[in-house]
Amino acid sequence: MKFRTLLSLCAAGSLSLLTACASTEPAQDTSDYDPLEPVNRVVHGVNGAVDFMVLYPAAMWYRDIAPEPVKTSVASFVRNINEPLNSFNALLQGDPDQAAASFQRFIMNSTLGFLGFNDVASDFGIPYRREDFGQTLAHYGIGGGPYIVLPLLGPSNLRDTAGIGVDYVANPLTWGAQNSDTAEALYLGSVGLTALHYRYATINQLNELQKSSIDYYAALRSLYRQQRNQMIRNGGPSPEFAVEDESASFDFDDAVEAASQ
Amino acid sequence: MVNSKIAISTAAMIAIAAAWSGPASATGLSSNVVAEVAAETSAANVIQSMADQAMNELTDQSLADDVRRKKFVSLMDRYFAMDVVSRFVLGRYWRSISEAEIEEFSVLLQNYLALNYANQFKEFNGEQFVVGDETQKNKDTFVDSQFVRPDGPPVNIVWRMRMFDDSYKIIDVSIEGLSMGITQRDEFTSVIQQNNDDVGALTAALKAKTGL
Repeated sequence: MKFRTLLSLCAAGSLSLLTACASTEPAQDTSDYDPLEPVNRVVHGVNGAVDFMVLYPAAMWYRDIAPEPVKTSVASFVRNINEPLNSFNALLQGDPDQAAASFQRFIMNSTLGFLGFNDVASDFGIPYRREDFGQTLAHYGIGGGPYIVLPLLGPSNLRDTAGIGVDYVANPLTWGAQNSDTAEALYLGSVGLTALHYRYATINQLNELQKSSIDYYAALRSLYRQQRNQMIRNGGPSPEFAVEDESASFDFDDAVEAASQ
Repeated sequence: MVNSKIAISTAAMIAIAAAWSGPASATGLSSNVVAEVAAETSAANVIQSMADQAMNELTDQSLADDVRRKKFVSLMDRYFAMDVVSRFVLGRYWRSISEAEIEEFSVLLQNYLALNYANQFKEFNGEQFVVGDETQKNKDTFVDSQFVRPDGPPVNIVWRMRMFDDSYKIIDVSIEGLSMGITQRDEFTSVIQQNNDDVGALTAALKAKTGL
């Protein structure tokens, strides 16, 4: 319980920090700032080994054994279990409409959709959108900071790692798991299914990337940054970047100019 | 791996990038001719004719792998501004090598991309390629398109194009918001940095990979 108190204090702390340094522009990361690269590469290697031994075989088995309707239901369940957090973060980002939509999805899918295994809300025209605390921080202008490869969880950065911590504390299921065996079983089950689902969903892409790339670590790092930027913008068009590092400063205009010389 | 939700990899990027069209290619010769004529005035038409050409030339399953790769390379020659792309993916490092070395790199890059992605055209089955709207933003024209799969949601692809000598050339491809050019640049510049800023190390790695 003490650990939890500590965690919630941290969450409260980051929230007050948030308001302190709030800016109106969502933060978009332009470079792969990676001062911990040697350590990150080691963790990346260990993750790869664990993945090879545990997650990858499980995902392959799941891919070959599970019928398509089962996979669809699992994908829907994994998203539904996240909806309270999506709603919470949408609210923090000053988007009450999206917060209401996520909450509505959660209620509809948990009841009509049988614990979220059926995504009836999408059929009613309320699409899914993921909002996590990392995105909330970015919404208030906080940049990604150094790239971090987390044990088991993989690519992240300082901001998004803090976000994972806050989301963990804010998740009603993690609180429920303290007091109820049913909630604990549901929580643990959802963690397992989430891991399995995401690994399955990325099997082909990651296999191809690993096969084709010269530096798999660097390619993954770039894709993580781009994908987070995409999620922070909620799919909107990319802004023209303010230039931060030398490599990012070389844009298409420079390349065109260089080619015409 | 919860967080490594990479929506679509570079692999898928070019596979789709070189692209292909379902219904349009079935309409036959006349639509191709029309597309060729209109190509000079519309970026979307350039994408459409590239898709038609890729569909006609690359999806034949009996084609030998190296022949398919060569056809892929010549498609890139025709539709991509390869000199711009080559300099872009080298980042600031293109300045540290000679013109001849950039030429060599450009050839290696094309063959590397062809090696990784040309064979994906063998496996096409039931997917469709639909070209959408154009948007102008600063100097570039962005062409939206969708890759519609029989199983799973459609994949959004955006082509970044620029006018060179009165014709549109592709300078970047984004799949679900992930830029192929930026991903490749980040990876390549990382390889160069890991080797004491020596571009030769990247060239050597590409040679080893492509067998050139």
